[in-house]
Amino acid sequence: MKILLAEDDSMLGDGLRAGLRQLGFQVDWVRDGVAAERELACGDYAAAVLDLGLPLKDGIDVLQAVRASKITTPVLVLTARDAVPDRIRGLDLGADDYVVKPVDLHELGARLRSLVRRAHGQMQDVLRCGAVLLEPSARRVSLNDEPVALSTREFDLLHVLMLNADRVLSREQLEQQLYSWGYEVESNAIEVHIHHLRRKLQPDLIQTVRGIGYTVQRGSAPASAST
Amino acid sequence: MRTGRRLKSLQARLLAPLLGLLTVVWLGAAVMIWFDTSHELDELLDGHLAQAAALLVMQQTHAHEEDSVEDAPSLHKYAPKVVFQVFHEGRLVLSSANAGTVPISRKEQGFSTVRLTDDAQWRVFATRGAEHDVQVYVGEQTESRDSILLAVLQGVLLPLVIALPLLALVGWWAVRQGLAPLRHLSRVLAQRRPQAMEPLVVPDLSTEMVPVVQALNGLFERIEQMLVSERRFTADAAHELRTPIAAIRAQAQVALGAGHDAAQRDHALQFTLAGCDRATHLVEQLLTLARLEAAPASAADAVARVDLSALARRVAADLAPTALARGQTLQLEAPTACRVAGDEALIGVLVRNLVDNALRYSPNQAQVWVSVAMESGQAVLRVQDSGAGMTEPEMARLGERFYRVLGSDQPGSGLGWSIVKRIATVFGAQVQVSRSERLGGLAVTVRWPR
Repeated sequence: MKILLAEDDSMLGDGLRAGLRQLGFQVDWVRDGVAAERELACGDYAAAVLDLGLPLKDGIDVLQAVRASKITTPVLVLTARDAVPDRIRGLDLGADDYVVKPVDLHELGARLRSLVRRAHGQMQDVLRCGAVLLEPSARRVSLNDEPVALSTREFDLLHVLMLNADRVLSREQLEQQLYSWGYEVESNAIEVHIHHLRRKLQPDLIQTVRGIGYTVQRGSAPASAST
Repeated sequence: MRTGRRLKSLQARLLAPLLGLLTVVWLGAAVMIWFDTSHELDELLDGHLAQAAALLVMQQTHAHEEDSVEDAPSLHKYAPKVVFQVFHEGRLVLSSANAGTVPISRKEQGFSTVRLTDDAQWRVFATRGAEHDVQVYVGEQTESRDSILLAVLQGVLLPLVIALPLLALVGWWAVRQGLAPLRHLSRVLAQRRPQAMEPLVVPDLSTEMVPVVQALNGLFERIEQMLVSERRFTADAAHELRTPIAAIRAQAQVALGAGHDAAQRDHALQFTLAGCDRATHLVEQLLTLARLEAAPASAADAVARVDLSALARRVAADLAPTALARGQTLQLEAPTACRVAGDEALIGVLVRNLVDNALRYSPNQAQVWVSVAMESGQAVLRVQDSGAGMTEPEMARLGERFYRVLGSDQPGSGLGWSIVKRIATVFGAQVQVSRSERLGGLAVTVRWPR
């Protein structure tokens, strides 16, 4: 899951980026409001962590502008402004969550996962497609209740596909959601990961839609054991 | 409280002089009437005495029987208060019943006031006939004049005695009515919530009350501004304290979760330490500011002379290692002792904050130049740097608590400027920010009064 982190404080930003990466998130870090707005507008982020006291453009203004242009990316406001009116204003202006600094990294990760889940209309943490079960918080995947070892990229790719079950995602969309800045994405990287996933799980779990992309059908993969 | 209440009561203040003045004027009028009436009365009655005397002289000249003393009958109740004697060739020939045989006055001609055997005062007119054989005395008890005077005065003073309490009552009522708006205002104020900051609106305000209400509204506005700024300060302080703490927490968690990645753990731990330093610095600055704002006057009172040059040298020496570590050049130019009025510790904090700011917000390898000099009798401290400098709007916002030039990556507190400005104000020094002519960055000039 790729997260946009907008935080001007270098020490805190560095810590959050490193911490979220440890939790398995891909993190793009911007340090001012203008960059945050630009990235939210064009980048394909699962969610954003937005500090309110940003240079160039205040976080509240960024939030307002982003929501005004119909961008629905879940936004978690992370701020030191703890006054109740501030919280109400932040939530009313389109924030999906409001967290006051300091925050526990694990809690931040859980909140982000919850935001992403809800953004995709899911009520529970676990994702299921037939016999394949994916637990984002534990970063665990099992097939017929048997754990399957996946690499980070494979897990992330499966996560994205399962979150967007029944939707076709292009290779570019997948790349955007999987890789943060600074990674040289090899042209066939996605194909390779898809290949591995099919091999490790089920050959027909991920379907290729020629010329468009890939999709996972909810409940399409035959469940060979219990639900 | 109770004794002061009479003096403090507006009603008493208004009534007391009014009634006092009324009494004084009235009594003055009574005194004037007394003098006027007694003068007129004297003239009138003296005239009567003289006339009576003249009549007696005439009568005696025309018909007098020898060797007989006649006592004239007293016919009127006032008769005992009137006395007369008629002497003919030294012999008493006619007198009133209450007159003795001795002439009642030693004066043979004109008016005199005498005390007779009855111990009362008498006004006596004496006159002689044309041939000097007839001597007439006519006297009148002065008491009767006094009683007339008293009767007149009573007529004047009695209404005063009756009117005074009445006037006091009416005056009390009128003043009370007049002060009703004041009581209304105090009721409105008493019912006001302590947090209420909206302006007072009192309908039908009397002209005299308008300035009071305006002044009150002005006060409310100022209090509100103060509260807003205090609230903002609290919010800002929370923000400034939370951010380093959040950074420390995040970095510490990263270090814990680093596992076998020693490089990541070390990096996170270094940042954790740096975050602690930053929080410490911020707390120290906050404490300094709090102390300054709590006791500004006492600092200004104790006016000692401080050698600015020596102080600048000490600060420069303290900060030199920091500068060296970043490859910055810290230069000091303080050739002569420069004494200014101020507290050594506080001026030290001021100089330190300025030099620290210059180093902190200038890049590595930058130059910082500190100079102390006398310019037209004023001690001047200048701190210049070769950093990026500031735009006009940024300069204008300096000194707002927690204001930091955005995008500056240095872990400052944003309080240094507030502290510098505060200390300068305490000692009457002026702080100026401009572009450094010499180094191109920021130049801060502090000028002490002569």
